[in-house]
Amino acid sequence: MLFSLRELVKWLGFATFELFLHLSAILVFSVLVALQADELIKAMSWWVVFVPLFAADGLSTYFTAIVSIRLYQEGERRLAVLRLLWVLTVLSLKLVCEVLLCQKLAEKDQRELWFGLIVSPLFILLQLLMIRACRVN
Amino acid sequence: VKMSLAQRVLLTWVFTLIFLIMLVLKLDGKVHWNWFLIFLPVWIFDGILLLMLVVKMAGRCKAGYDPRNGSQELRKKAWYLVAMLMKLGFCLMLCARLDGLTDLMVVYVCVPLWTMLTGALVELGLNIFPSRRD
Repeated sequence: MLFSLRELVKWLGFATFELFLHLSAILVFSVLVALQADELIKAMSWWVVFVPLFAADGLSTYFTAIVSIRLYQEGERRLAVLRLLWVLTVLSLKLVCEVLLCQKLAEKDQRELWFGLIVSPLFILLQLLMIRACRVN
Repeated sequence: VKMSLAQRVLLTWVFTLIFLIMLVLKLDGKVHWNWFLIFLPVWIFDGILLLMLVVKMAGRCKAGYDPRNGSQELRKKAWYLVAMLMKLGFCLMLCARLDGLTDLMVVYVCVPLWTMLTGALVELGLNIFPSRRD
């Protein structure tokens, strides 16, 4: 809409398939969140709610590993390493944020785990994305 | 209205940042504004996007566009418009729900979001498997 798909792929450094994967994970996740918020399913823990997101991260890591190995074998070593590093950074930041959020939601009285701390990986991610945007341009 | 990639990135980035900061402040109980105020960056950003989209569509309709290529393009734009409106509707209902203005079940609140996400998935899927469309 604001960005074309090609720009998005270039900026985020993810393949279209990975974007598809993460988007579908978000869809399933939002369904589970809604069910949890309405308490339609009794005794579902927040960890179960977050499973789609964790699964997407895992699959995405696997996919990236394969792509990087293929690139490496075809002699594009620089590209392979750069891609692997970038995707792993993004995914680990995302994962940290998800795990912290899940912990916060699962255990009610976690005073020391304030939201600023939970979202801080996202702030780092935003800075990284900005830097990358400059390079893509 | 044609913006460069850098401008668009900056626009998205700034509004995301402001929204995240306000969200954190609200969730940590540092400020006690209502949720509609917290979502202010979202409203402004969506407003800008909608305005750009409408202007583009109007421009396309007014100028005699290539009828073969144009209708496809216009249909895409129309879908974007519907998706934006659905996102806006979802955010509005979410705010109303969070502020306790309504007791609507979250499942109903999320219906526009799910519709939009499904549409986006279909669009992405068509891009991954282009041969299936023909």
